[in-house]
Amino acid sequence: MKRLVVEDLKYRYPLSQELALNDISFAVEKGEFIGIVGPNGAGKSTLCQAITGLAPNFLKGAYGGRVLVDGMEVAKEEIAEIATHVGIVFQNPFTQIAGSKLTVFEEVAFGLENLGIPRYEMKKRIEEALELLDIAALRDRNPFDLSGGQMQRLAIAGIIAMKPEIIVLDEPTSQLDPQGSEEVFQAVQNLSREGMTVLMVEHKIEKIAAYADKVLLLCAGKLIDFERPPKVFSREDLEDYGIAPPVFTRVCKKLNIKTADGLYPVTLKEAYDKVVKILE
Amino acid sequence: MNKIKVKNLHFTYSGGQEVLTGLNLHFDDRSTAIIGQNGAGKTTFVKLLKGLLKPIQGDVWIKGFNTKEHTVASLARHIGLVFQNPNDQIFKSRVIDEVMFGPLNIGQVEQEAKKNAVNALDMVGLSGQAEENPYDLSLSDRKLVSIASIVAMNTDILIFDEPTIAQDFCGREKIKKIISHLRKEGKLIITIIHDMDFVAETFERTIVFHRGMVLLDGEPREVFSQEQELREAYLEQPHVTRLAKKLGIKETLLTAEELIDYVKKPG
Amino acid sequence: MKTLSLYQPGRSIIHKIDPVTKLLFIILAIFVPIIIGTWGAALLTLLISLSFILIGRVFKKVLPILGFSSIIILSVIIIQGLFYVNNKAPLFTLGPVTVYREGFYYALNIALRIYNILVAVSILVLTTKPSDLIEALVRKGFSPRIGYIFSSVLQIIPQMMSTVDTISDAQRSRGLETEGRLSARIKAFFPLIGPVVMNSLISTRERAMALEVRAFNSKRKKTFLHEEVKTGYSRFLQFILLAILLAAIVWRVLS
Repeated sequence: MKRLVVEDLKYRYPLSQELALNDISFAVEKGEFIGIVGPNGAGKSTLCQAITGLAPNFLKGAYGGRVLVDGMEVAKEEIAEIATHVGIVFQNPFTQIAGSKLTVFEEVAFGLENLGIPRYEMKKRIEEALELLDIAALRDRNPFDLSGGQMQRLAIAGIIAMKPEIIVLDEPTSQLDPQGSEEVFQAVQNLSREGMTVLMVEHKIEKIAAYADKVLLLCAGKLIDFERPPKVFSREDLEDYGIAPPVFTRVCKKLNIKTADGLYPVTLKEAYDKVVKILE
Repeated sequence: MNKIKVKNLHFTYSGGQEVLTGLNLHFDDRSTAIIGQNGAGKTTFVKLLKGLLKPIQGDVWIKGFNTKEHTVASLARHIGLVFQNPNDQIFKSRVIDEVMFGPLNIGQVEQEAKKNAVNALDMVGLSGQAEENPYDLSLSDRKLVSIASIVAMNTDILIFDEPTIAQDFCGREKIKKIISHLRKEGKLIITIIHDMDFVAETFERTIVFHRGMVLLDGEPREVFSQEQELREAYLEQPHVTRLAKKLGIKETLLTAEELIDYVKKPG
Repeated sequence: MKTLSLYQPGRSIIHKIDPVTKLLFIILAIFVPIIIGTWGAALLTLLISLSFILIGRVFKKVLPILGFSSIIILSVIIIQGLFYVNNKAPLFTLGPVTVYREGFYYALNIALRIYNILVAVSILVLTTKPSDLIEALVRKGFSPRIGYIFSSVLQIIPQMMSTVDTISDAQRSRGLETEGRLSARIKAFFPLIGPVVMNSLISTRERAMALEVRAFNSKRKKTFLHEEVKTGYSRFLQFILLAILLAAIVWRVLS
């Protein structure tokens, strides 16, 4: 069964003339890692908010179509209930810390307390989440004393502990240094290996090429493509949609190096395997 | 000629550990990238250049002016700083007024300020939006407004603090063009940045900060060839450099173009 | 970590007492001396409170609080000693000024009450984590939303202050004078306040969404990570405190 189904989704912000999302349809399987790419203003964040029900439940506006998570229609549910099925992590780690808790451990508990999870179960889930995000050693630290990468992993832990089947990440590494981004990517990859369905908006295209099972290309509110990374990044018209292919793909394109299926390599490894033969 | 001279610079925030531990640096006309992990002291360093912080020990001279002896406002004629988040500075209701604010503050007359503002907006590609409210623009365009508002001050030195954060491909290319354009005008450009590919493609000099010290300093090719030191500073090589190394290429290659040329080259 | 809280972490027995008992003690420390109305009662209460402060090992932190308020109290004593309406009997004379007995004692009485309140409140504030206090109140039926606002403000305001610093730096970098003459400061108001307001609007909206997706508005019955500190002895303490309060009232009515 499909974990997430988006059908003819349309959304327009209040006071806006244009559709931020224009007739989007796609479906995601359990455990898939989806990279969402597109230029600024393409509707990537809006799509994330629609998948989690923030649009139209929190952000009012004109809404059409359906978003189904495990068959549940998100627009018709309370955001707090959707949170147990789909979690979302935002760009800025600071604004995601509840701020009412003094330790990392308590911070993760915030959502669980709101959901009325029994204490025994709560502690178990917090331990698991801290372990999975590799921040168990920081359990007694004040959340605001953490580095950007640690804080962002804490934000993810707070969401994961609520046990959603899907996690949506909206540019989670854009404000982090290289090490912090790498920490977050590793953590997200771990989640994906544990069977969690991941949708991640990201500008670091080489990372998406390396981690994602499929890439969703969005431009001006429309879904342009939804395919495996080599398929999307081999498109000749990619730059027309405000996206540059990974640097490895650019090199191979110029050298006219293709893989067996007629597409260009997109990751360092794929590019290496091909280019090394030429150099020999 | 040295535009900036830094001698034995130490800095500590009140009650904290030493953030900068005795830096000696000279800056000439070369466009310079400062890279390093968060907390390595990069932002503190540029705040000291700008005069927003004063050295605990040692000195900073901006075009011969010691920052200890001059106010931030008077140094602003010589050195500009574009902050990371454009929302930290925008307060006017028209783009053109926002861009003219700095020039007027440092004593440019109305006409001159206007001329500089128009030129700056033209350079960042926003001349069509001069009359709009900055908050009606997208975040990436607001970033360009904040860049224009420093460029219009027509200082000899410009510092950018992580200009490519949250920028898409087009925004990133635009900023690259702005930097090369300003470089051609003879200005010294210093940039704090986390995007190694961008550094490799754009700058003439790269300085690696690590724990309040300069770990590496030189041309990007030289700096990015030091794999061991980079790892020590929690940094990575540019993508192409890594691929070239894996391919067993002895030279340090920085950009896609260099790699393509290398592979095409007969022999 | 910059935080607005005055809490001093510790392991003393005073730290372990639950916040509600401490709140009850504040009420007692304020009202019992008033109800009984004698100097002895007020002094005794103050001594008891101070000994709790000592047991809690936070005496050093009370000193600045007491020191600062003493400046005000001293001025009250001087003013009342000199000008209290019922002043009749001179207490002592220093050069041209005479301090009167009535006003002096009246002011001393006020001083004692103020110290009583300050020290009793200090016990709560210095030895209780703010989040524990708020959690205890939420358990007692206090609104979780208001509780959240109180506890988050302690941490979020210092974060906002650092945004204000950044904005000030950004505008000074554009040649804005923020110091010196009054006219310069007035001119600096809009360039500073504009971005501050805009930034807090943006971060408030982001924070609201982040809270929303962490089920802040859930209709389910809330649970708590920490067990309520309600040991036998805290019930016993609360019982004793209430008994003392009652005894004081009874004593007052009968005498």
